[in-house]
Amino acid sequence: MSATVLHGEVGVSDEKQAAAKSAGRRFGALVVRLGAIAAFAAIMAYFVVFAPGFTSTFNLINVVEQSAILGVLAYGMTAVIIGGGSDVTEGGIDLSIAANMGLCAAVYATLLSMGYGDFLSVLAAIAVGMAVGALNAIAVVGLGILPLLATLAVLNVAAGMELTLTQNTVVGASSPLLGLLVSGSFLGISALAWALIVFSAIMIAVIHGTAFGLRLYAVGGHPEAARAAGLSVPFYVSFTYVLSGFCAAVASILTVSRLSASTPGSGELLLSVLAAALLGTVFSRRFVPTMGGTLLSVLFIGLLANGFQLLNVSSYWVNGVQGALILLVVAITSFARGSEGSR
Amino acid sequence: MTNSMKGLVKALALGLAAACSLAAISGASAEDLSLKGKRIGVSAIGTDHYWDLMAFRGIQDRVKELGGEVIALDAGRKDQQQIAQLQTLIAQKPDAIIEQLGNLEVLNPWLQKIRDAGIPLFTVDTATPHAINNTTSNNYNIGAEIALQMVADMGGKGNVLVFNGFYSVPVCKIRYDQLKYVLTSFPDVKIVEPELRDVIPNTVQSAYSNVTDMLTKSPEKGSIGAVWACWDVPQIGATQAVEAAGRNEVKTYGIDGSPEVIKMVMDAKSSAGAVAAQQPYEIGKTSVDNAAKYLAGQKVPPFTFVPSVLINKVNAAEKGKPFLEAAEKAGVK
Repeated sequence: MSATVLHGEVGVSDEKQAAAKSAGRRFGALVVRLGAIAAFAAIMAYFVVFAPGFTSTFNLINVVEQSAILGVLAYGMTAVIIGGGSDVTEGGIDLSIAANMGLCAAVYATLLSMGYGDFLSVLAAIAVGMAVGALNAIAVVGLGILPLLATLAVLNVAAGMELTLTQNTVVGASSPLLGLLVSGSFLGISALAWALIVFSAIMIAVIHGTAFGLRLYAVGGHPEAARAAGLSVPFYVSFTYVLSGFCAAVASILTVSRLSASTPGSGELLLSVLAAALLGTVFSRRFVPTMGGTLLSVLFIGLLANGFQLLNVSSYWVNGVQGALILLVVAITSFARGSEGSR
Repeated sequence: MTNSMKGLVKALALGLAAACSLAAISGASAEDLSLKGKRIGVSAIGTDHYWDLMAFRGIQDRVKELGGEVIALDAGRKDQQQIAQLQTLIAQKPDAIIEQLGNLEVLNPWLQKIRDAGIPLFTVDTATPHAINNTTSNNYNIGAEIALQMVADMGGKGNVLVFNGFYSVPVCKIRYDQLKYVLTSFPDVKIVEPELRDVIPNTVQSAYSNVTDMLTKSPEKGSIGAVWACWDVPQIGATQAVEAAGRNEVKTYGIDGSPEVIKMVMDAKSSAGAVAAQQPYEIGKTSVDNAAKYLAGQKVPPFTFVPSVLINKVNAAEKGKPFLEAAEKAGVK
């Protein structure tokens, strides 16, 4: 009997210690998070003061335009991370998203060049994108493979299919839709910039304004609890991968419009997509990925490249800074996650 | 000597003198060129290849020599990034833009935008109607010369493995078309179908495995006579593959003149048959001179050719040396 009491007392003091420790870490995390945001703000302020032409409307619209493709892809990645949980090794991640975009772009451009109209070609690109997403879903949810490995395999499948289709060549494309995306503008804002604005509004509304979005967070944050509450975890997780495939398809159409062609090498975008989705967590108090946070970090990455160019700083620095920021954010997130102690 | 012949010689001599004095005049004006107070934007698709890096450096060095400011942009072989850089560059309104290589299909609408913004556009190795001047090697010559060298080495018959992954790059198109044109006169030289695809990145490894596979497919000696590529990085992989397979009857041909490949051609035992060596650093510099002339109100031709040299097994020791020295001077091995 006394042994049990003793044991209980030890447990309580352990909990107290843990709570104190956790509060300390939480405070530390807060400091680091605010520090990161301050660093972002400082960089922007520096650009505003020193980079000639940085704040001109024309330049800012350019940056939004340049961020559209990355943004749409990053939303897909963010959704997958929300639904699969943000544990970097075991949580949701879609490494195939950039390669999937390349495949969709190849399908879209090839069909257009074969004389099929926009309607069929767009439909086909979206179908292919979602099919690749579904393949990810089957591998992750159906076969229970780690998302990191499953989507890595699917990355190779998508990249291989793209190479088979295009023979690694540039496939030129033109169509009324592409023409509209390239030269269309409304209220002085170009079509491509509008594409990002509208897509962002939809994603933010769906993920942060609906019960569906809330459940998605529940599934990703605590799958067991979500299951106990009667949510179909496999359905939600599968949904995020298919959504990610859909985002890849939408981005592919934007990419073909911007490059007037489908070109090899889309896979290169993956690092930036991951960076955007991970950096975005800094803008959330609980270090979870949010659509708004992703949008901010996408714009930040775009502004970084833009500001460096305007300052005539070598473009080689952009990759370095981007890599350093990812490292910083991942470090902060794991630090903050330690305080939750849930995993 | 008959009178008419004398007249002909006289005319030729006069013509030659005139040509020399013209060269002297343009040489003199090159001395006076200045880019003081001018900002020149330079956009390159990538600098991971010897040629690209040297041309990119040549441009930057010459702009600084002439007292101008360079905005140098390397897109790291990413089309998206190059387009974003060009878009921002247009907003920066430099006095001129020099664009170096890339996919023409992707670039053309953006080169048009540069001109629409009233910025003079010059290109390096990129033939486009939007450029005021394109400075390059005479790729028509290069393409024909390297093809003829290959046909000669093959004794006018045999099968050729051809890398044709970059037909959308203008210079590769010209060289490939010239190869095809030369082969119309030599029906016994046949291109093996399907053609091979050279890729970026992993060019050497990929060429190595492609050629190894093809050699395995055609195991009899003499069934393949040569490997051709429109640049010389695939040639490195191809040469290594041929040598590893012990098929030394196969010779490889390429264009650009990377130091590594020139050394291979110089090596009597190597299977590298010939390489057309260009002067990328000079090409870069010359494009800047053209831009400076144009900005000074002088007339600039639509294209400028910088001489190249065909380095083959016979002349390699002599002709290859200056290229290797230039590379060493630039600190590139």
